Amino acid sequence: MVKSFNDILEAAKSAGPVRLVTSFREQDLDLICRAAAAGFIIPCLIGNGKAIEKMTERGPLASMEHEIVDERYPGGVLQRAISLIREKRADILMQGGFDQNAFLSAVLDARTGLLKAKAASYVSVFELAESGKLILVTDTFLNNYPGLTEKRLILENALSLSAILEIDTPKVAVLAAVEQVNPGIPSTLDAAILSKMSERGQFGKARVEGPLDIDCSLSHLAAKRKGINSNVTGNVDIYLVPEIDTGYLLAESLVCFGRIHTAGIVMGTTNPVILDVPFVSDECRLVEIALASLALRRGEGDGQAV
Amino acid sequence: MIRSFRDFADLASEKGPMRVAVLAPEDEEFMLAVKKSWQRGYIEPVLIGNKERIERVAEKVEFDISGFETISNDDRQAISNLGIGMIFSGELPIASKGQIPTSYIYRSIIREEAKTGSGTNVSVISFWEVPGLDHLVAFTDTGVNIVPDAKAKLEICKNALFVYRLLGYSKPSMAVLSGQRQIGGALTSYRDYESIRRAADSGDLGECEIVDATSFTEIFAGKGNRIVNWDSLNLERMPHILLVPCLDTGNIICKLDFVLNVSRCSLVATSRGPVCIPARSDFTDSIVQQLAMCVAIAARMKGGK
Repeated sequence: MVKSFNDILEAAKSAGPVRLVTSFREQDLDLICRAAAAGFIIPCLIGNGKAIEKMTERGPLASMEHEIVDERYPGGVLQRAISLIREKRADILMQGGFDQNAFLSAVLDARTGLLKAKAASYVSVFELAESGKLILVTDTFLNNYPGLTEKRLILENALSLSAILEIDTPKVAVLAAVEQVNPGIPSTLDAAILSKMSERGQFGKARVEGPLDIDCSLSHLAAKRKGINSNVTGNVDIYLVPEIDTGYLLAESLVCFGRIHTAGIVMGTTNPVILDVPFVSDECRLVEIALASLALRRGEGDGQAV
Repeated sequence: MIRSFRDFADLASEKGPMRVAVLAPEDEEFMLAVKKSWQRGYIEPVLIGNKERIERVAEKVEFDISGFETISNDDRQAISNLGIGMIFSGELPIASKGQIPTSYIYRSIIREEAKTGSGTNVSVISFWEVPGLDHLVAFTDTGVNIVPDAKAKLEICKNALFVYRLLGYSKPSMAVLSGQRQIGGALTSYRDYESIRRAADSGDLGECEIVDATSFTEIFAGKGNRIVNWDSLNLERMPHILLVPCLDTGNIICKLDFVLNVSRCSLVATSRGPVCIPARSDFTDSIVQQLAMCVAIAARMKGGK
């Protein structure tokens, strides 16, 4: 079981390098060099070839294996990057210098992009040093107001990542404001349905409990005092949030107030995709690359990735 | 100025004991909190609920309640109505929830506010004490309004501003939180931020400052920036009040004290006095802290300095 960011880094290192393609921007140079030096990636940098060469020729990247793809037409860079992935000439796509809106529109295009599942979602992985485990929180970036169908897909995507992290029987808390099913609070209804689906084995070995409020999710004792007896409470692996306001702000709260390290990945695509997310620190961006490498190596499906 | 929970406790010691309608104190953890609050001189409880159960838990925590008024009632909603009614009739300054669903308390408060015609929108304020921060942080609404629209949010803001001013801040700052990112279009919560900002600019919220940030990254690292490392987070930028987008967000985030190094206290500020609403999962020390806060707020509502 992968229990820490260090485990992710070590696992990616032993798995060997994968080809990471990105629209090169100078501010990513240090990150790319560190990832290449660690043996995670062979960088494939797209953009103005001469300009990239000039920026990299005197740095550490010059002595490492890398590829520069000359694409002068700005509108063609993104499509070129996606094509490299689709043609299996590259493995991982990093947002880098791409505009986020255009990047996601192209990546998540069902026909010409990299969408594999019915919906893509973003999973934030947090390293809880005290309990010595990783927790997943989703969706913290991509989907605004998912309905039940989308929540099911988001959960399945997170379960795929939990398998990559070797969590054998994932325990899932479907979060809501209250732990009781309340017809006036839609998130509690979705949570109850997902929980029932889990009872019927629709999520494999995963144990899905919901609705759960955050105190019951985090503390077995708190849950017991509220009359909830479940082996999910106090030992949650995956937190499924109701919507983006909660997901985004929850992730930020853990980072800003708890100083808890986080790294994220887009799930539901044919190949791992790394986004530029404001609450992911520089230090953790290296973990994101390692995580993407791991997802590629351990991912299931059509012989490709996540 | 009240800057910490310690300040609340000091004020409660000074202004207490205040009579508090304690609704269904039928759990040991809660009764122990009542006992400690009495011993510290914060409160004088009026115990309302199932008399047998009240006496049993009092005995278990070795609390002699023979000198306190006890009103026996088995019906949860009736207990709530009675206690909240005592605040609105002016009989008592504070009520506190024990082993009773919070929704019953809200129902009683909403009814009483409607009767008085105060126009007060009922909302919950949850304070955080964050180490290293020189003021308390008030999250709202963390308990009542499920998906408030912009109009309801304005009322929620007014409640929070009223309470925060009681702490001694004449011009509190406030962030209207949203999960707005570069992608995904304009969220309702972001449109509400714009609307509340306009209302504040036109003076609808009195003296206050709506900060130009809707997420924690924007608050601490500045608009358009990302978190580079912990040093790039400037805690001093934290506003006094955080208006949350909806109940799910508010309740989930404010109770992160179960994992973060922060302390939490919650209350409902009615037009007549505070109602203490500890979560059913809260422990004794946290409940004592919340009772002290309500005593301090009640004292300030009465005009005490």
